[in-house]
Amino acid sequence: MSISVATRPAASAVPGQAPTNAIEAKDLRVFYGDFMAVRDINLNVERRKITALIGPSGCGKSTVLRAFNRMNDLVPTARTEGEILFHGQNIYDRSVDAVEVRRRIGMVFQKPNPFPKSIYENIAWGARINGYKGNMDQLVEESLRGAALWDEVKDKLKQSGYSLSGGQQQRLCIARAIAVKPDIILMDEPCSALDPIATLRIEDLMRELTAQYTIIIVTHNMQQAARVADYTAFFMVDDTRTGYLVEYGPTNQLFTAPQDRRTEDYITGRFG
Amino acid sequence: MAADTGQNLATYPEGAAYRRFLQRRKRTGAVWKGLFLLATIIGVLVLVVLVVDVVDDAFGYIALQNRVNPETLVLDYYKQKMTTQPKTLASEDDAILAKGVGARPAAVGFFGNAYLEQNRETLRALPIDGVALGPETVAADAYPLARPLFLYTTQDILRLRPQVAAFVHDYLQTANQTGDAIGYFPLSAEELAAQLTNWGELTGLTTGTAGTLFPASGDVRVTGSSTVAPLTEAVAAAMQAAARLNGRVTVEVVGTDAGFRQFCVEGIADLANASRAMNNLDISACQEQGRIPVSFQVANDGIPVVVSSQNEFVTGLTLAQVRQIFTQAETWDQVDPAWPAEPIFRFIPGVDSGTLDFFVAEVFGTELAAQPATVLRDLLTANVSAGRLRALEAAKPIATLADDELYQLVESEVLKPQVVESWSLFESIFDRQEIEATVATIPNAELQFKSWVNWQFITSPQSSNALQSGIRTAIIGSLWVTLIAFLLAVPLGTAAAIYLEEYNTGRSFFDRLVETNINNLAGVPSIIYGMLGLAVFVRFLGPLTSGLAFGYGDPSTANGRTIVSAGLTLGLLILPLVIINAREAIRAVPRAMREGSYGLGATRWQTVWHHVLPSALPGILTGVILSVSRAFGETAPLIVVGVSTFVVVDPEGPFSKFTTLPAQIYQWTSRPQQEFQHLAAAAILVLLVLLLLLNAFAIWLRNRYSRRII
Ligand SMILES: Nc1ncnc2c1ncn2[C@@H]1O[C@H](COP(=O)(O)OP(=O)(O)OP(=O)(O)O)[C@@H](O)[C@H]1O
Ligand SMILES: [Mg+2]
Repeated sequence: MSISVATRPAASAVPGQAPTNAIEAKDLRVFYGDFMAVRDINLNVERRKITALIGPSGCGKSTVLRAFNRMNDLVPTARTEGEILFHGQNIYDRSVDAVEVRRRIGMVFQKPNPFPKSIYENIAWGARINGYKGNMDQLVEESLRGAALWDEVKDKLKQSGYSLSGGQQQRLCIARAIAVKPDIILMDEPCSALDPIATLRIEDLMRELTAQYTIIIVTHNMQQAARVADYTAFFMVDDTRTGYLVEYGPTNQLFTAPQDRRTEDYITGRFG
Repeated sequence: MAADTGQNLATYPEGAAYRRFLQRRKRTGAVWKGLFLLATIIGVLVLVVLVVDVVDDAFGYIALQNRVNPETLVLDYYKQKMTTQPKTLASEDDAILAKGVGARPAAVGFFGNAYLEQNRETLRALPIDGVALGPETVAADAYPLARPLFLYTTQDILRLRPQVAAFVHDYLQTANQTGDAIGYFPLSAEELAAQLTNWGELTGLTTGTAGTLFPASGDVRVTGSSTVAPLTEAVAAAMQAAARLNGRVTVEVVGTDAGFRQFCVEGIADLANASRAMNNLDISACQEQGRIPVSFQVANDGIPVVVSSQNEFVTGLTLAQVRQIFTQAETWDQVDPAWPAEPIFRFIPGVDSGTLDFFVAEVFGTELAAQPATVLRDLLTANVSAGRLRALEAAKPIATLADDELYQLVESEVLKPQVVESWSLFESIFDRQEIEATVATIPNAELQFKSWVNWQFITSPQSSNALQSGIRTAIIGSLWVTLIAFLLAVPLGTAAAIYLEEYNTGRSFFDRLVETNINNLAGVPSIIYGMLGLAVFVRFLGPLTSGLAFGYGDPSTANGRTIVSAGLTLGLLILPLVIINAREAIRAVPRAMREGSYGLGATRWQTVWHHVLPSALPGILTGVILSVSRAFGETAPLIVVGVSTFVVVDPEGPFSKFTTLPAQIYQWTSRPQQEFQHLAAAAILVLLVLLLLLNAFAIWLRNRYSRRII
């Protein structure tokens, strides 16, 4: 079966699942060859909210994030067990096409990676390959406005995407992602290559985007998580270097009154 | 703190030890740097040596020997033409000619000036181009039919035989007066002074001391030209009459050429009369016998063109009219409409006469290249067999040939020049004198600096004659074969590389099998590809590769040894190269770019087509350049597949038999004749240049493309 906009209301058909759920990981395990990178992740991501994934390096945040849009499929050795439910449908089901999943669940990467094309084409390309039939100029403008980039680039749409600054490039990547009208946008440390001002702009942008999109973000920056995220999930590694979910909850609760000692240690440790 | 310092001292070198350490480290760096530099220098040197070696053979002197001497060819042509004109009397006896012209108002002729002098009342000399024959015009070199006359001897003879020195002295002093009376033209004052100075330097005597020679005694032996002989005899007679020479003067009349031979080679004369200066061949013949010839100009000779004194209409002729009169015109009015329509009677010296030779040389010129098209055409038709003529006519009608084409035809069909000796560029630069001496000993040979690479070489088909052989068919063959190899290998190789990089997970047995095979294929010796091509394309697929199956049957290529077979074989040969390079390029495309594409919901194909391929294209192109260059230069497999050794017609298409540039080079280098080694070097240069052009084009293409996408 395929995932389509039409099937969205059917999400509530799954019993016991709140209609506000955008996506849900169930007993998720990811292996790289024989190595189990993460185990038994159960995570319920709420709709039109920002969920942050935090934790020490190598605990599998990126792995989990990439599991949400089957990006791990591109790693030849990667293998996924468990389920990711998207509108009630397990995206790892044999009948589901990973390409469609990624169309619905877009991604923004750690390092800005615009295509070596013009700014206009960077946006238009994704729309075109997904069969967009509408007014392209309009879509480009709308997407660039959505990514708060329009005013800066409206006079140089024909220039290469590489001609932009790092922060602008990252916003271009966000514009590119929202142009295909996904439900969820995954962001893997989207600000790690940016200066504080650019970072703030992206954070503002994320808040604006929650009006229409669900965002899952991986970050190393506690303050950033505290600033932007509605919910935060904290991951750790065990002795075998396998990552697992320690605690998950509303952000201010997790930061002010963590339920778990390890969470508290991590947060306070970081904050000195 | 102290413990800390102590520990540091023990762990890291400090002070003098640290400086030594630094020095050692620097030295190691310098040694490696030196090694790298050395490797680079060796690489560059090898390249330079290679190019120098090829260039050395591709340019240099050649000794050309014509089967027919071009000057003789032209001379004989005009002599024949002149003597066979209607109403023409040719005689060796000038007296007959003088009488003949004198008797007829419509007659014209030319002969030695002496006979004009003897028949002043019946004959009239004509000015040519407005210049009359006379002492002044001859001395000023203004009259076209005038030439200097010489006396040759050696310094040794002058010094050892004083009677000869004395004879030459009086000859120079008196020839102007003596000669004047019997029809010679005097030297100018400067000319004469130069001769006397020369005499002084050679004998070591001055005007004052010259008197000691006289009266001289002993015999003087003279030989050579009949033109000079009367003057020599007159001078001798005058000396003997004045008792300045006690001894006999023998004057042999054998002609200038024979005179030089007797004087130089046989050494049986003290002096050689000559109506022309020695050429290189004459001089070297002398030098070989240890004689270093010296010359004295003794007089000038002028040939008058005469009409009867009864002739009332011709007052002068232009050189063009002279040409017309003696080779073409039948009546006077054809030469000038103002003249009467009377037939022209011609009286000219016979074919054995030096005067006729001289006349032709001065009036028409004996240089072949300077001859008009009509003459060249006549020469061609007169000297080429009827069958060959028909073949030439079929290739391109002779009447339509341009002047330079005609000249080339005459050269290749009539003169048939052959390279009898050739030298490399270095020899040509450093042993020039030696080369000239060698060439001088080869009869009829001409020294020429030849660039073996030239336009004719590039545009001519192969030929067994090295001078006409070219690489046109080989270049076309090479381009064809490379094109087919390209068409096979590049799409196939790129496709395979895409599969292996983007689709092959490396997990299945099949995937791993393919992987290892591809990598090993690149290491297979090219000759084995040749055998594969022979077995598959030539033998097994013969009906297809010969074109018979498509109705392109050519019985001579029905065996499948065609361009297609060769191209496909080379295509297979470079396929692994293309694949490996393309894979490298595809692998170098950043993962981030692929992820960006996949992250938008692009399929694998969309990702590959829109992002991976464009980004990898410059790298893929680099691989293609390398591979195509390889195919262009490959020889061994083609020899196995069956490259033709001798093809003179351009390949018409993929089903033609063919040769390629490297195969051609290989074939030439394996021939024993020196000139084919030069051809091979020239072909190598062309090959290198073509490869360079090919690469430059591809690099340009690549740069253009990569600029566009970034
Ligand atoms: N392609 C891969 N092949 C094999 N192992 C991998 C691969 N990618 C990640 N891993 C391993 O999986 C584990 C989790 O990696 P992951 O990148 O998800 O960590 P992370 O939490 O994102 O770390 P960081 O904060 O440093 O980005 C690590 O032990 C890592 O070595
Ligand atoms: Mg990560």
